[in-house]
Amino acid sequence: MALRFIHASDLHIGRKFSNIPEPPDGNVRGRLMEARHGAIGKLAAAARAHGAGHILLAGDTFDTATPSPSVIRQALAAMKDAADVTWWLLPGNHDNLRDAEPLWDQIGRDAPANVVALTEARPHDLGESACLLPCPVAFRAGASDPSEPLVNMDSDADKLRIGLAHGGVTDFTESGDAIAPDRDRTARLDYLALGDWHGRMSVSDRVQYSGTPEQDRFKHGRRGVCLAVSLEGPGATPQVTEVETGTFLWSDVALLLHARQDAAAALTAVLPDGGRRDILLRVTASGWAALPDQVELRRAAEACAPDFAHFDLVTGALGTQYDSTDLDAIDRGGALRLAARGLMDEAGSETLSRHQRDVAADALARLYAYVRESEA
Amino acid sequence: MKIRAITLNNVRRFTAPARVDAIGDGLNVLCEPNEHGKSTLFDSIQAAFFKPYGSRDQEVRSLRPHAGGAPEVTVELEIDAGRFMITKRWLQKPAATVHRDGTLIAQADAAEAWIADALGGDAGGPSGLIWVRQGVTRLTGGSPKEEQAALDARRDLMTSVGEEVEAMTGGRRMDAALARCRAELEIYATGKNRAPRKNGPWKEAQEEVESLEARREALAATAQDLHESLAARKRARRDLRGWEAPDAVEDRRTKLAAARAAHAAAERHAEKVETATRALEMAQLTADNARARRDSFREALAERAAAAEKVSAADTEAADKRAAQDEARQRRDAAARKLEEAQAALKAAERARALALRARTARDGAARRKEFEDRIARAEGARREMETAAAAARTGPDAATLRRIEALAAAHTAAIAAREATAAQVVAHYDAGRDGTIRADGTALADGQPLPLPRATRLTIEGIGQLEIRPGEAGQNDRSVEDAAAALAKALAAVGAEDLSGARAGTDARADAERRHSEAKAVLASLAPDGIDRLREALAAIPQLDEVVDAPDPDTAEAAFDAARAAHEAARLASDTATERLSDLRNDATRADTTLASLRDRLKRAEEALAKGGDTSEADLAATADAAAVALEAARAAHAEATKDAPDLVSTQAALSRAESVETRAQEEIARLKPQLAQLDERIRRSSGEAVEEQLAETEQELETARARLDRIEHEVAVLVRLEQALEAARAEARERYFEPIAKELKPLLHLLWPDAELTWREDTLLPDALIRDGREEPISILSGGTQEQVALLVRLAFARMLGQAGRTTPVILDDALIFTDDDRIERMFDALHRQAGDLQIIVLTCRQRAFRELGGKALRLSTAAELEAPG
Repeated sequence: MALRFIHASDLHIGRKFSNIPEPPDGNVRGRLMEARHGAIGKLAAAARAHGAGHILLAGDTFDTATPSPSVIRQALAAMKDAADVTWWLLPGNHDNLRDAEPLWDQIGRDAPANVVALTEARPHDLGESACLLPCPVAFRAGASDPSEPLVNMDSDADKLRIGLAHGGVTDFTESGDAIAPDRDRTARLDYLALGDWHGRMSVSDRVQYSGTPEQDRFKHGRRGVCLAVSLEGPGATPQVTEVETGTFLWSDVALLLHARQDAAAALTAVLPDGGRRDILLRVTASGWAALPDQVELRRAAEACAPDFAHFDLVTGALGTQYDSTDLDAIDRGGALRLAARGLMDEAGSETLSRHQRDVAADALARLYAYVRESEA
Repeated sequence: MKIRAITLNNVRRFTAPARVDAIGDGLNVLCEPNEHGKSTLFDSIQAAFFKPYGSRDQEVRSLRPHAGGAPEVTVELEIDAGRFMITKRWLQKPAATVHRDGTLIAQADAAEAWIADALGGDAGGPSGLIWVRQGVTRLTGGSPKEEQAALDARRDLMTSVGEEVEAMTGGRRMDAALARCRAELEIYATGKNRAPRKNGPWKEAQEEVESLEARREALAATAQDLHESLAARKRARRDLRGWEAPDAVEDRRTKLAAARAAHAAAERHAEKVETATRALEMAQLTADNARARRDSFREALAERAAAAEKVSAADTEAADKRAAQDEARQRRDAAARKLEEAQAALKAAERARALALRARTARDGAARRKEFEDRIARAEGARREMETAAAAARTGPDAATLRRIEALAAAHTAAIAAREATAAQVVAHYDAGRDGTIRADGTALADGQPLPLPRATRLTIEGIGQLEIRPGEAGQNDRSVEDAAAALAKALAAVGAEDLSGARAGTDARADAERRHSEAKAVLASLAPDGIDRLREALAAIPQLDEVVDAPDPDTAEAAFDAARAAHEAARLASDTATERLSDLRNDATRADTTLASLRDRLKRAEEALAKGGDTSEADLAATADAAAVALEAARAAHAEATKDAPDLVSTQAALSRAESVETRAQEEIARLKPQLAQLDERIRRSSGEAVEEQLAETEQELETARARLDRIEHEVAVLVRLEQALEAARAEARERYFEPIAKELKPLLHLLWPDAELTWREDTLLPDALIRDGREEPISILSGGTQEQVALLVRLAFARMLGQAGRTTPVILDDALIFTDDDRIERMFDALHRQAGDLQIIVLTCRQRAFRELGGKALRLSTAAELEAPG
């Protein structure tokens, strides 16, 4: 009979999202926190849906080394509620063994029977046919491949070897702390469940990153998933199915504008039609827009922002296209025209710093807005 | 742009076409009585240029005649591109067209655009500035309504100027933008330096960042403390397990017991060694004492024998020394007596020599006194000679005086010679034997010898009588001889001489006296160079001694003295030698006596030492010493035996101490670690329970957000500050641009009315603020209505010229613009108009026919339909 389990990681339960602005009439931070806690129930549902008896959490179940007692207790209670599955919790870098010792002590004391804290690098039976080989993260900044103990970790010869580790597979710093991509072969693994990367990634048939079940950043462009894994037997290729579990979509949309384009209409065109309440949207405008278009773009952004859980219009890369009609709109002559002309020259000066140019450009835009509003 | 003709149709009273044409380049004047349509003409021109053909506003409707219809205005104008005709009709079938040479070139909106372009783009700016609408029909007085209308007219005039100025400097839009910018900036910052406003969003953002940074630091410290506590607990647990491990406990117990047993055995053996050591020390002491007694006895015997021998020798030597001392004393006494004798002889020789010397001194003193007395006497003589000679030298004439006298004598002689040379002469030629019978002044005349007769002279002729001869005119020169004689006589009298020879003798005597004076002076200087008194003082200093009687010869006395002194020296030397010898021998005798006493004492001590031993013999003492030596060797052997295999007590003590300290430390560490672990457990439990890492992560996120907010606010402040700076700088530059050219343009116009007058300007309103005349500054507001309108019109004319220079030439249209100006000043205003009309087109509409008669310019006429249709 095939072994079925759910592979997930990086739940980061307890994350506060204090960097997300809280609108005066909203509770986006609370909703985001709650969604991370709700991932437990969604994973349990996915397990049931796929006939899996085990949920392997490959590190960073908790966001910090010392979550508040309620965060721990409520997470364990939610896992206990899913009594038909066994939760295997691997310490990651955020909740590593050294810094999060009290956390793992408390889990050791308070965890329900279906929750196992994998605080030692030793084999655990995963049912009768498989052996779980965990590599807990000892401390946050390790200087070696955290999956290396798998090579010498013994298991019964006739059982599937399921590795569980936490760390990057790409060594950007060449410090030797990345997980070897061929660890499945060097450690004779049937499957290596990895955590740390929040996006979904398949390194090979047997080496997989599930990503976080609930996204928390504008990077991956899709909702979070977990992996439903099925292993027919030793040596068989794992069957991996992605199951969407995320509530929120973190979306980063590029808006390339050009002069004489209706910027507000262009923005409207890239906005999603439905489900906006569960979407955190960041629109990064670039290219060029005239002063009136920029005014209209901002007005359009302000108009649609309340639809979304979070809306951010980034205009740092958007240049201002000036023409004589813009300046005419401020004044055709006299001192106002003189001031506008000076600011426009300053905004386009190559001898000034970027900051000075930005200040001048924004000052000109502000002058334009003042004049426009006073005439409205 | 210049207007050449205007045609009205269906405009107010002109229900039929009316036209003004042939409008020239410079000054044009349309002078018509009231109610003849001047203001209608003005309003029509305004409408043609600035009212869109589709407009139906009040101003447009006011153009319609009472009878109704569509007002229509046609203006023919000339611009750089040529001559054009614009026509506008309002209200009914509204239309706008532009024709050129009868050809339609634009209509409707295109025509409006063409007109706006011809005006220079601005919506009425130039015309608003320089087209002056008629204000009121009367100067002053009238009903309150009319007064108000006059006031409004002045205001209108000033306001139109002000509005144009505003257009140049941004005006109300600039004010609004600046006010808005400052208002928004005030939300964030305050003061000149734009510091964050207290309780403002900027300050709050700064404080929030600071607060969060502080909180993050505190939480980071707490987190660090938690990490350190975890590490410490791990180490404490490991250490406690090490100390309390059963194997470790048993190992410590076994090692401590073994160390204690080894140390006890070592202590017991050490006591045995101590006993043997003490026995050895006693035997050593006994042997040393016996040997010492034996050796001391032997030394005392030897000492006694040696001392007895030396006492005998010393006794003999002391006797010899005393005998020698006596002999030397006798020799010393003899020498002393001889010395006394020599001293007596020496004193006698000294006295004799002193006597001889005194006698010599007395003799020498008398000779010197004699010498000085002689010198003094000769010096006194010389001094007297000097005085005598000096007195003599003062009596005779000196050389200069003599030369003057000789000159006077020569002059006298010359005078006589001259007189005689010119005087009549008488020469006697005697007959034989009659020589000397003729006498003159008692002197016989020599024969043949001429006798000059400078004056009347009587010749006595012996025997005959007297012959008086009178020289006549020649005798008049006789006076000079007398004057010379008088001068000579006076000079001679002054020196006491009778004649020249006497004078010369006096001079010689004077020279002789001076020579003698010099000689006496030289003698005196030789004898008494320092004066005679010094000689007398030297004389007084020479002692006067009595002559010594029977004094010996000094040389003999000196030789006798030298001999006595040598004898005395020899006697003294002999006495000293004898005395020294006696002293040496006395010392030798004393030393010999001392040595003898010392040796006798030594002998006594040796005998006393031997006496102490009583009857003990040398043999007895030797036997006792030998026995003690044997006992000492035995004790040494026993001590060596005892120390040969003795354990090291220090080592066993050290081993025991180490074993005990290990155990003690183990107990102390266990006692320390257990409460420490309890403390760490509690600290870790508390920190982890407070979710410090979670709070830290949250705070860092909040800090990131707060910093971003602060960055945005700081950027906002920078933007607002930059905008404020830009607006202020632009307005200042615009003011600068405005004031300078207008002041330059206005200056000659003002001076037509008021020499040296100038205007000041308000920075806020940019309107003329005050007129400075004759050094006095008068606010515009207190000037008369006439002066205010004159200033306003001059400003307009200046503007018109400036606009023309800027390529925006626009006609100046004045509809009764000088209604308050008196006759005197209006002519100067006419001059101003003519001055500006050089390169401007000015159209003056007025009803003041008489006043404007002197204006000149080209006269215009408003021709009605009937007139237009009239032939010719």
